Amino acid sequence: MGLPDASCREARDRVRAALVSSGLAWPSQRITVNLAPTGVPKAGAVLDLAMAVGLLVACGELEPETVDGLAFLGELGLDGSIRPVAGALPLVDAVEVEGVVVAPENRLEASLVEARQVYSVGDLRSLVRALRGDDEWPASPDLAEFDEIIQYPDLSDVRGQPIPRFALEVAATGGHHLLMIGPPGAGKSMLARRLPGLLPRLDSSDALQAARIRSAVGEELPPGGLVRRPPWRAPHHGASAAALVGGGSGTMRPGEISLAHGGVLFLDELGEFAPKVLNTLRQPLEEGTVRVSRVTGSTEYPARVLMVAAMNPCPCGGSGAPGGCRCPESVRARYVRRVSGPLLDRFDLRVDVRRPDPGELLDGNPGETTASVADRVATARQRAVDRGVRANSDLSPSDLEAEAVLEPAAVSLLEAALHAGRLSARGLHRVRAVALTISDLQGDEGSLGADLIDTALSFRIDPFSPVGPSVR
Amino acid sequence: MSGGSTPDEVADHAFLAALAGLPAMGPARLRALLGLLGPAGSWKVASSGRLPREVQAVIGPRAASVATSWVEAARTCTPEAVLAELQSVGVTVTRRGEHGYPPALVDDPDPPEVLFSTGRPVVNENGPTVAIVGTRRCTRYGTEVAVEFGRGLAEAGVVVVSGLASGIDTAGHAGVLAAMGGTPPVAVVATGLDIVYPAQNRTLWRRVADAGQIISEAPLGVGPARWRFPARNRIIAALADVLVVVESHLEGGSMYTVTAALERDRPVLVVPGPIRSPASEGTNRLLSDGAAPACNLDDILCALNLVCLEPVSLATNHGAPPVSADPADLGVLDALGWEPTTLDGLATRTRLSPVQLGSAVGRLQRAGLISEERGFLQRCSGRGVP
Repeated sequence: MGLPDASCREARDRVRAALVSSGLAWPSQRITVNLAPTGVPKAGAVLDLAMAVGLLVACGELEPETVDGLAFLGELGLDGSIRPVAGALPLVDAVEVEGVVVAPENRLEASLVEARQVYSVGDLRSLVRALRGDDEWPASPDLAEFDEIIQYPDLSDVRGQPIPRFALEVAATGGHHLLMIGPPGAGKSMLARRLPGLLPRLDSSDALQAARIRSAVGEELPPGGLVRRPPWRAPHHGASAAALVGGGSGTMRPGEISLAHGGVLFLDELGEFAPKVLNTLRQPLEEGTVRVSRVTGSTEYPARVLMVAAMNPCPCGGSGAPGGCRCPESVRARYVRRVSGPLLDRFDLRVDVRRPDPGELLDGNPGETTASVADRVATARQRAVDRGVRANSDLSPSDLEAEAVLEPAAVSLLEAALHAGRLSARGLHRVRAVALTISDLQGDEGSLGADLIDTALSFRIDPFSPVGPSVR
Repeated sequence: MSGGSTPDEVADHAFLAALAGLPAMGPARLRALLGLLGPAGSWKVASSGRLPREVQAVIGPRAASVATSWVEAARTCTPEAVLAELQSVGVTVTRRGEHGYPPALVDDPDPPEVLFSTGRPVVNENGPTVAIVGTRRCTRYGTEVAVEFGRGLAEAGVVVVSGLASGIDTAGHAGVLAAMGGTPPVAVVATGLDIVYPAQNRTLWRRVADAGQIISEAPLGVGPARWRFPARNRIIAALADVLVVVESHLEGGSMYTVTAALERDRPVLVVPGPIRSPASEGTNRLLSDGAAPACNLDDILCALNLVCLEPVSLATNHGAPPVSADPADLGVLDALGWEPTTLDGLATRTRLSPVQLGSAVGRLQRAGLISEERGFLQRCSGRGVP
């Protein structure tokens, strides 16, 4: 009793079959397993192993002291095998005991929690023998800290396209969200895929957090357990709000934005996402964490991501050039309006990506490699760290006042852009932060000149702006 | 306000306005009715549903359902109320052949039986008239040419007619409005005079109405029905002595205006465009089909049999950037050329670093030599065009 869901209630059958097939006794009396606290719903098969062990203790097969200070996390197979469960890392972290027993597949995740002794056992019979002291605990190989050998695609594959390349570099350096607008086949996704390779590796606490999130959704962890490489997540545009920011009915599940924590969240075909779904991203993007509330409770997940999005300039798939697309203005306007103004404002960098020149594709020189760009990014990021933030996009307006000093010409430029309605007050700070990032990349010292502001402004195109002449 | 009209005419105007406001009432049906029965008789027949066989023949197989819809609509309005509403918003009603009806339309093969207009009666003065038309999805090039032609023609005393649509129409009207002491603008629209379409042209609409004249074949309250746009275009073609097409895709309303102008023996002049620009595909096709090119104002004035004393070449006018511009910036301007280009395309051509290029583009934009539209950079004349 105690609010079990269907798969949890079926534990009765699994535990019974596992005990019988392991040659252990199934007591011929009424059995009550109380899942306390009663008010919290229980789901899944995580508790199978604990129920089995509890039953063995209750009917005298095991001495109570043998299980003292131990937690048991695992699903039971009908043959008595112990099977892995999703979310082992956060579960092990949550139980306050000296040691935990998990399936061998869960050992890596469980051992990331430093204060726990982790035992991994493959089947119920060996577990009972080990607990009784008849046998040694099964030996488990030492865990070395592996480096992940994920190979990100290299930037040298990208021919030409100097402006989008530079936008990637600025995005990686300053943590500025990037929107790429261009016709199908222009290489937007190809560019975006090369962004994680430019980002710094995750530090220990982020790597652990990332591992916990990945464990919670039951995804495989890299060898070594910790997620050191910046993640890359590219949810399909049909994704629901719950898939994107987390939630779901029953068990709460972190969303794509949390799975991308410390890495890149790529939204391809931004205009095809449901506007309501996109708007749920605004709060997590702002705060770096996401709060999910449901009737069954509320949870907070980390969600610090670099958001990269791609969209077509218009639904007809043309280049979007003035006079060059077949869409009536109203259709085009409706298409871009699916991306709300406030969300668009989150993209500090917005660039047009067009198909590279055929000449560049066929015999252009290979582009600069990821490694060499990443070096530059790392050097420039160090300057942000010296300012006390992770990246320039974290600088508050008052920080910018102190760190991004403007030359008089730059001030008047920004004032003009503000008066022309081209920039919001928020946009003004973002342009300043981007200019600072570019200056960091160039290794400049001192105040920001008009050239940097002009460049930052030219990397901020407005896909909403009406086309053609108008009379005021 | 049918000033100077006889009481009979006023009564006729009421019937005409009410008839024109009936559903599915096109120019041909209205003409058939009026030719047979006159305004009062037509209204009587339309509101009773007993259509003469001749009118039924014009309507075709759907005559019965059309007649029913007319009876339905006639039940809810009276001709007097329709006319009173028109008068209250300052709309003039003119019947074909009356004083105030544009002379160019009287003998048209497909003349509007009744016209509604606001503003001053510009088209009645019978001066030389040019229609400037083109695509709604125009480029900066088309915009600038339309503005310069509009302004130049108005200053030369030519009446410029267009359709108040977005794109080339807007640019043409804007040019006329920018002219110093020129002729007032004239617009022919497809909706009722109380319905601004497209809505973003509200300001332009008001300024054209204030300075010149807006004409429509549709009574008040008529929204943008599809069939009314080509119908409107035939009026523009008929009003013009010369039709100028600035930019047009292969298909579109401007091509319909061209056909209507050719049917009426009006000369069609066409602005040549880049062969790679989709917005010039239609106009370039017209040129290869034998239309005369409009490369400058003089070409148009010659087609009107007017003489321009000082021929002005738009090309030399365009090409002279201010001396103050940085030589490096001028290189960027050259690389940009006259086709819309993204920053990336320009970076590939110039091989400048993003910061060098970004700052050059910023300076050129402030100098009015480049305009930016959703990321596409376009070269412009630097003479302050909307």
